[in-house]
Amino acid sequence: MGMPSNSQPRYEVLWPLGRRAVEPRAVAPRLPDLAGRTICELWDVIFRGETIYPLVRDYIRARYPGVRFVEYTEFGNFYGPRGAEVARALPEKLRAHRCEAAIVGIGA
Amino acid sequence: MLRAAALIEQLGIPTASIVASGFLRQAEVVKSGLGFALALAEYPGAPMVDSDEELRRKVEATLAPGIVRALTQGAPARSPAHEEPEPGSVVFSGTLDEVQEYFDRRLWSDGLPVIPPTRDRVERFLRFCGRDPAEVLGVVPQEGREATVLSVAVNGVMAGCRPEYMPLLVAIVEAMCDPRFALEHAGSTPGWEPLVIVNGPLVKALDFNYGQGVMRVGRRANTSVGRFVRLYLRNLCGYRIPPGAGDKGSIGMSFNVALAEDEDTARAIGWPTFAEERGFAPDENVVTVQSVVVITPPTYSAGDRAEDHVRQFAEVMGASFAYWSHTGMKRGFWHPLIVVGPSIARVIAREWSKDDVRRYLWENVKITAGRATHYARMTSTPTFSLERLVAEGVLPAEYAESDDPQRLVRVFIRPEHTGIVVAGDPGRNQSRGYMGNHDQGPPVSRRVALPSGWHALLESARSIR
Repeated sequence: MGMPSNSQPRYEVLWPLGRRAVEPRAVAPRLPDLAGRTICELWDVIFRGETIYPLVRDYIRARYPGVRFVEYTEFGNFYGPRGAEVARALPEKLRAHRCEAAIVGIGA
Repeated sequence: MLRAAALIEQLGIPTASIVASGFLRQAEVVKSGLGFALALAEYPGAPMVDSDEELRRKVEATLAPGIVRALTQGAPARSPAHEEPEPGSVVFSGTLDEVQEYFDRRLWSDGLPVIPPTRDRVERFLRFCGRDPAEVLGVVPQEGREATVLSVAVNGVMAGCRPEYMPLLVAIVEAMCDPRFALEHAGSTPGWEPLVIVNGPLVKALDFNYGQGVMRVGRRANTSVGRFVRLYLRNLCGYRIPPGAGDKGSIGMSFNVALAEDEDTARAIGWPTFAEERGFAPDENVVTVQSVVVITPPTYSAGDRAEDHVRQFAEVMGASFAYWSHTGMKRGFWHPLIVVGPSIARVIAREWSKDDVRRYLWENVKITAGRATHYARMTSTPTFSLERLVAEGVLPAEYAESDDPQRLVRVFIRPEHTGIVVAGDPGRNQSRGYMGNHDQGPPVSRRVALPSGWHALLESARSIR
């Protein structure tokens, strides 16, 4: 507490937050075109993904010939009771499917 | 969800994350904490309330083009993060009113006035824990900040805690930093709130209320410790309601005051305390943190037999828990907490152990499979299926004994998940139930480490009360 000013004490107060521990990291390079690419799907089994993902597939297939989808059922629910196992298995599965892009959802 | 996207980006694979409009600002907070400029694709509005036709139109007009953009162009460039002060630095000097305004504008308060965290006050707190102020207790979501001993002291001061609560506050943050607590989900839409349960000699030493009005604001220890938790979630994790962005509790609930157990009664009736049941010795000071998403009505029960009371728990608390139990069914567990009034505990304990109480609730609280499925589908999961959860090994086989939607399934998934604390008004016959939010905030306990010379420190604190 500092010297009184205008009959009220003054307070020098400390910053109440903490240092950010995460440095910005580069994302993966984007694809120039989705034609002929393999896109993998991950879904947390909520918010109507069972309807949304097929519509997204249709939209992309209609515009990008040769695009291939590996559906979410292949990977499991990363937000479910086996979420940690799903995450652990993910790198190998993505490699096995030659995944070149991924759609992850759904946050709502 | 964005954590999964970050994992994939690390593998060199570009991602598009589907996010509904109302969650875009929270997603930006999470992205900053993950360190990745993840590319988002917006679903306009709320998918759970759109007709099939609306949903199709939104996917074709907005979401799918957004996914293509995210995979081919990435996220828009963001402005560089602004410089932040160093921990422990003075950020402002002003009168009490000016400090309040300064903290309010930066969303560093909880809407109530704070005690100015001056260096003197913070150092007084630090003397009560004997640990390096720079010690990192964990890196907390969702802003990815270091939770240090210093940050505990600063926010403890702000919350109105006494310096001698400091060892307890550190243990609380350690418990919340435990990955099992899943702090990354503390901003989810159900708006759950952590509850701190205090056991051990500190209950009396720090003057916690464990009797009448135990869960009401009014006793400094219970109230300020509860407030501290909410302030910490705001300031270190970034869980802030608007105009902040990290806390998506749709309606939310107020902070819980800390719950202290009436250990005298528990021991007198021959029940282990809550902490003893969690593996701690009777003389250990322990904090347990767990989520609370539902609070039952005050549950009155009368009679001189154990079943008179526990049957009432099953009916009244069971009815409150039944609706949200589908979320636990999806994970295979959730944690109920029953706060049993001391007069009632005395009656029950004459005949039943705590395990008997748990078993009765497990056996007798049920919901029809059809209602559980309906509630899950209303909430977020149109594909919810008890049969599939059994097939996947998440739920015991009995949940899929038939396909009759009228069949009854258990609300309490395993008897051992139920916590029981004796507390409240010994002069009345009331208990209450608290429901944890499935795998978000399951109970995590920590022993409270006291510094050397604790008793002298405590005496010195008492002398200025």
